Amino acid sequence: MELLAPGALCRDGFLGDDHRGLAEILDTDRAAVEALGLTHRDIAGALDTACRAAIAGLEAPVHLPGGNLVAQFHDAMGVIPSPWGEGKLFAKGEVVVTDAATEERLIYTPLSVHLIGEHGFYEGRGSPYRIEPAKVARMFGLGKHPNDSDTTSE
Amino acid sequence: MIPVLPIILAATAACAVTTSLAAVLLLAERYLVKYGKCKLDVNSGDRLIEVKGGKSVLESLKGEGIFIPSACGGRGTCAYCKLKITEGGGPVAPTELALLTEQELADNVRITCQVKVRNDMSLLVPEHLLSAGEYRGVVERITDLTHDIKNLRIRLTEPERIKYRPGQYIQLEAPAYGDNPEAVYRAYSMSSMPDEDNCIELIIRLVPGGICTTWVFTMLAEGDEVRFNGPYGDFHLSETDREMVWIAGGSGMAPFWSMVRHMAAHGIARKTTYFFGAVRAADLFLLDELRKLDDQHEWFTFVPALSAPADEDKWYGETGLITDVVGRHVPDGSQAEVYLCGSPGMVDAAGRVIEAKGIPPERVFFDKFG
Repeated sequence: MELLAPGALCRDGFLGDDHRGLAEILDTDRAAVEALGLTHRDIAGALDTACRAAIAGLEAPVHLPGGNLVAQFHDAMGVIPSPWGEGKLFAKGEVVVTDAATEERLIYTPLSVHLIGEHGFYEGRGSPYRIEPAKVARMFGLGKHPNDSDTTSE
Repeated sequence: MIPVLPIILAATAACAVTTSLAAVLLLAERYLVKYGKCKLDVNSGDRLIEVKGGKSVLESLKGEGIFIPSACGGRGTCAYCKLKITEGGGPVAPTELALLTEQELADNVRITCQVKVRNDMSLLVPEHLLSAGEYRGVVERITDLTHDIKNLRIRLTEPERIKYRPGQYIQLEAPAYGDNPEAVYRAYSMSSMPDEDNCIELIIRLVPGGICTTWVFTMLAEGDEVRFNGPYGDFHLSETDREMVWIAGGSGMAPFWSMVRHMAAHGIARKTTYFFGAVRAADLFLLDELRKLDDQHEWFTFVPALSAPADEDKWYGETGLITDVVGRHVPDGSQAEVYLCGSPGMVDAAGRVIEAKGIPPERVFFDKFG
């Protein structure tokens, strides 16, 4: 898709240095999400909750309830359209979610939440806002984890 | 038994023929079709323009000095460039359908970057867009205001003067560079005073991954030529004498820095309280200048606030979210006007506080950062 390329809607585009086709990127991430026992909407829901809390914090760090996660929104001027072309606009700016215990960080945008929830698109590898489904699941405590081994297979 | 292979072959052949025909039609339209001259009637005869057909309405108007704001550079994704095309617009393209409401479709509103000029047309352009023009200038000075906010001062070269109202904005052109194949335009409020009409100043905050701000922060240098168009916008001081409450954060400072100096220079002594929010002391700027104006003018009060000051900030001023600070300082705003400039989150949150203070929506003016 032309709008995913660098310079179309944002400097770096949405595909990074990923040489796979869009269909393969979507398929691989869908399989990863299913392996976690989750849906794209589960992932987007967790990211959206953190995003809304961060935006309400007006750039100050906000502790998310029930864990070690801290969310902070870095405002930016303007809006960015969805590259899927539905005519929806999203505030620019990025959400940084940090696990205060491990210092693991997740950086995404309000547009990322839409792309994941509506299109199952986590961006290509090397894209600045590429999100690994497993990382979201781990940080937010969602779904099955590698340590949750299936005892029946042992 | 049904023969599968011939069916697959037939379907493949049909797809190939359809695709080829579509490609031929697109190429033919691009290279062979000559539309000739077309007349655009803007605002019922106010302005009659003759353009060469074949380009989009957005591009054609731009070529005639009528700049319709667009956030996606004519790619049909932002829906900013909507105008009413009352005659000659032709059928609505599928790319427009997702961007228009039923009411807009009924009102002949179109996405002008997706409508080609193929014949004479009549269209309605808002008056404030007709007064905008294209300008060239030279970057006179670039100053760091914070770690991620710069002040850009542009001296005009052609034309050499600009007329605008404090609070209005321009669209700055970032030329093609790197992987960015074409110029893009981004909107910035002017922070300068209209009296100094041979230059403009902009307060620009770095947008991570932003095409225009990356260019400003990493490539643009003093002495470089720049282009912009404008002025645009209806975010400016009203004509009343009502008390004003201003609320801003980050680069939302720009219109207010223009307004307060304009008021001081012209003896406009409307009681004004300006709330400016930041996270840490390092995010504040123009603090000394605004405090000086506060000292000099009884009508002006400046209230900076930090939401998460650290010990090393040595901050003794207001603390908390700027919306909470407004809540504490404005006991009754029922007679006031409110002006908001900042991120959508800030404007929405401030809007809720303002509503609770009894200020009617018609007296709340905002610039939501695009």
